[in-house]
Amino acid sequence: MTYEILKPETLQDAFGLLDTDDPMVRPFSGGTALMLMMKSGIFSPSRLVVLRDIPGLNGIRLEEDGSLWIGALTTLAELEKSDLVAQHAPVVTHALRHLSNRRVRNVARIGGALAHGDPHMDLPPLLSALNAEVIVEGSNQGRRISVQDLVTGYYETSLESNELIVAVRIPSQQSWQSAYRKFTARSADDWPALGVAVSLNASRNEIQDLRLVVGAATERPTRLEQSEGILRQEGRSGLERATEAAMASVEFMDDAHGSSQWKKALLRVELRRAVQEILDRNT
Amino acid sequence: MTTTEVGRSLPRLEARQKVTGHGNYTHNIKLPGMVHAKVFRSTVPHGRILSIDTSDAIALPGVTAVITGQDILKIIPEPYYGPAFHDQPILALDKVRYVGEPVAVVLAEDPRVAAEAAELIFADYEELPAVYDETEAMTSKAIVHDELKPAGTFPDLKHLIGRKDTNIALDFHLKRGDADAAFASAEHVYEHSFQTQQTMHTPFEPLISLAEPGDGRVTIYSASQSPSFARSEVARLLGWPENRVQVKVGHLGGGFGAKLYIKLEALVAALALLVRRPVRLSLSMEEQFYTITKHASTFHIKSAVDKDGRITARKCEVIWNGGAYADIGPRVTQKSGFTATGPYDIESADIDSYALYTNRPPAGALRGFGIPQLVWAYESHTDLIARDLGIDPVEFRRRNILRDGRPHVTGTIMKDAAIDAVLETLAKRMDWDAPFDHGSGTLKRGRGIAIGFKACVSPTTSVASVSVSADGSATLYLSTVDMGQGSDTAMSQIVAEVLAIRTEDVRVINPDTDITPYDMATLGSRSTFHMGNAVRKAAEHAREQLLEMAEKVGLPKKNTLNVPEIFRHAYGMQAGTVIGVGTYIPTYASPDKDGLSDNVTPFWMIGGTGVEVEVDTETGQIKLLKMVNAADMGNPLNPRIVETQLSGAAIMQLGFTVSEEMILDGGQVTNASLADYKIPGIRDIPPHIENHIVEAYTHDGPFGAKGVGESATFGVSPAVAEAIHDACGVRLTKLPMTAEVLYKALHGEQE
Repeated sequence: MTYEILKPETLQDAFGLLDTDDPMVRPFSGGTALMLMMKSGIFSPSRLVVLRDIPGLNGIRLEEDGSLWIGALTTLAELEKSDLVAQHAPVVTHALRHLSNRRVRNVARIGGALAHGDPHMDLPPLLSALNAEVIVEGSNQGRRISVQDLVTGYYETSLESNELIVAVRIPSQQSWQSAYRKFTARSADDWPALGVAVSLNASRNEIQDLRLVVGAATERPTRLEQSEGILRQEGRSGLERATEAAMASVEFMDDAHGSSQWKKALLRVELRRAVQEILDRNT
Repeated sequence: MTTTEVGRSLPRLEARQKVTGHGNYTHNIKLPGMVHAKVFRSTVPHGRILSIDTSDAIALPGVTAVITGQDILKIIPEPYYGPAFHDQPILALDKVRYVGEPVAVVLAEDPRVAAEAAELIFADYEELPAVYDETEAMTSKAIVHDELKPAGTFPDLKHLIGRKDTNIALDFHLKRGDADAAFASAEHVYEHSFQTQQTMHTPFEPLISLAEPGDGRVTIYSASQSPSFARSEVARLLGWPENRVQVKVGHLGGGFGAKLYIKLEALVAALALLVRRPVRLSLSMEEQFYTITKHASTFHIKSAVDKDGRITARKCEVIWNGGAYADIGPRVTQKSGFTATGPYDIESADIDSYALYTNRPPAGALRGFGIPQLVWAYESHTDLIARDLGIDPVEFRRRNILRDGRPHVTGTIMKDAAIDAVLETLAKRMDWDAPFDHGSGTLKRGRGIAIGFKACVSPTTSVASVSVSADGSATLYLSTVDMGQGSDTAMSQIVAEVLAIRTEDVRVINPDTDITPYDMATLGSRSTFHMGNAVRKAAEHAREQLLEMAEKVGLPKKNTLNVPEIFRHAYGMQAGTVIGVGTYIPTYASPDKDGLSDNVTPFWMIGGTGVEVEVDTETGQIKLLKMVNAADMGNPLNPRIVETQLSGAAIMQLGFTVSEEMILDGGQVTNASLADYKIPGIRDIPPHIENHIVEAYTHDGPFGAKGVGESATFGVSPAVAEAIHDACGVRLTKLPMTAEVLYKALHGEQE
């Protein structure tokens, strides 16, 4: 029950404190998820390594290549209110307005939201569809991991215990357009029962390229590659076939948000609507 | 009558104190030498306790004591409590009857140590068969209580004493006219069944009680809606005179029925007396799911209708899922049960209402006292009949509505019950006769109206006293608990009106049973009427004394009192006090063996709701576009506060309608936290809400007022069900009506 709270002031110190086999040692940024797990007794830490005093993990900036660099400790509220984000990745701004509630957004941080590996989140599928990557540093060599590869399973990520996400990079979205649609089952500010993120490169009103990602209803954010292939080949006319393929290609979870059968139906509807939403913008 | 203070929409007197962080909440109390309690709870739904091993817990450094039911027996030999039945042990003794039932308590200097030590307790049970469903409990071989234990103080429960081998705690029956004959000759007969789910009150201030032992006395600080009852019940358990038990209540962060009778009070008192130290027990939000809930229910309803669309007879069988302990459930069964035929003029009726024990967390009173469960069924049934007859649902209600001067099925003649005015207000504000756009494609729209009514639990007593100081300011002493409903403000308005002073010059003393007089409890929308009358009488009593004083000292008899002048003349300086006392108990006639009475309630509460919904037929999503609430609250004492009572009640019921549900797996609540039990958030609230106070006057009420806290809960659920039906042709008969439930109703289980 007793545990230590440590507040390192450098990344190196943090890595030292986190480099252990003890699964009850965890980094702590916003704490919105960890505190819930601690309250319900699912997680009893032996050590929490608080990252908030480490410099260089905050802020949002536009890089020379047109990508957005977002420090891992940026709160979701800062992201929501950022003009840079609104300009270069407006779909993120829109999604954040309906992500949980204002109190959570004021505290939760983007790095933690991704590192947690919780399937019922909005940002992992969305950032995945935007082809974003996380910049990771650790005791050893730093590396970059695409958001799509970051989450490997139910509450599992490819991060090592001595690694931390220091920033998120969203590449330039020029010529791409995106939409994120979600369904919350129990209240408007609930975790999603299903989230669908769609990014299309449809500059001449034809689908040149696209990324479709479903989250929340599945064990981890899942790329709908078969559906992407159909839409790439057939364009808008393949939408019905693409949604059918999506329903058949992923495994849905039965949980407190709803049955797998219903979520399957939701995916068909929300995927179709998300793609249409983007195509309709161009007509 | 023209009034200046009554009818004024002044803000709540305590609002500033609360929003600046100076609220007088029980959670802020720290007592010298206080220890913290943590409850160890049952993990089995039904079982005989074989052993409780507390050795590891007591060995943990910082633990003061570990207390079990056996320890409680040392100071309370019969440790069973409850408002109607003495069936609930302070801590489990021989048996546990639901998952989450308190079995032992750890006391420690630090609440976290107490929590950790509670994890180290081990209890061994012989598991017994359990029953969760109210209908199954009627005939189940799993018997929750070996023997019924009604409180001996109630004559109407005496016949139940010692009854064995049953889960039926109480059965109530009403029989009027010859329903069987009416059914035999009816043009149409309709029969439906409806169900509601178990839900929770979710006050944002979870339950908390502290107890401080004294010399032959005990002081209890508690977030309680019923300080007077808590005092007498703890005194009864201890075998002490009432004046040795003091119960003090500050502001409440919501109650809704969760904080009634006793909940933690006897436990903390026993703990404090056992360890001779002040004890604080503060439940987490999660623990509230194991404390008190709202009844799940099954309602079978059957109506006989003649060729003109008049309901001639109705049969109602209502089965209430009371959980493991009766709490106030038997009174819900009875006092709400007799309104099960609805606010309609029906010649013959049979009502059978049953309170069932099951192995669920106990159910008690929750904003509406069973009425929302009944209205859900009888108004859904009403709409289904109207549909089948091809009569507009508002018109069908008009044909059958119960009007003033006509007898209710109990035989009580209706008076001051503006049922028709509520219906007509809703129809008008919903623009019912105008063409309605039902939407197109996959977005369908529909609308529905439902009305309900409630009798006030009776007979109950309220006492108040008003002290007038020599400078003309007044202090009001009462045990009504202001839990957010604004009663302190409304009661002060009554005092101010009578004494011709400003409401702001009245100070309310929060309940303290050593100081404030008796009140039955703050429940069932009874305070405005009962305590309001007592307060009015107390203020009038003070006023009479002041007038007499004025006359005695030779001051002119004027309508406007100059209080400081009267005191100065009487005592030669600013000195003296005048104390006015008022007691109110309404007249009442107990139902006879057929459940009939010519005076069954002091007043009727009438409420209704109209909604417009949009249904996404592809996903099942239900969106409320518009909600119109209307209620008869007599002459409102404070119209603005009353409007917020209407919207608050309706939004709360909306949660019970479309989302909230305690989900059980093997008796274990699987969503016992606000992370997984979702109440409506700001974005779930309809974008358009109207609250209408219909013009009415309650002749026996204080300045024509009546209770209002529950009225807007009545119509919400059936109005939403009818609106969904109107939108997409699907009738849902079970709450909650979630998107997935509607999706499955629209598309079938297998796509």
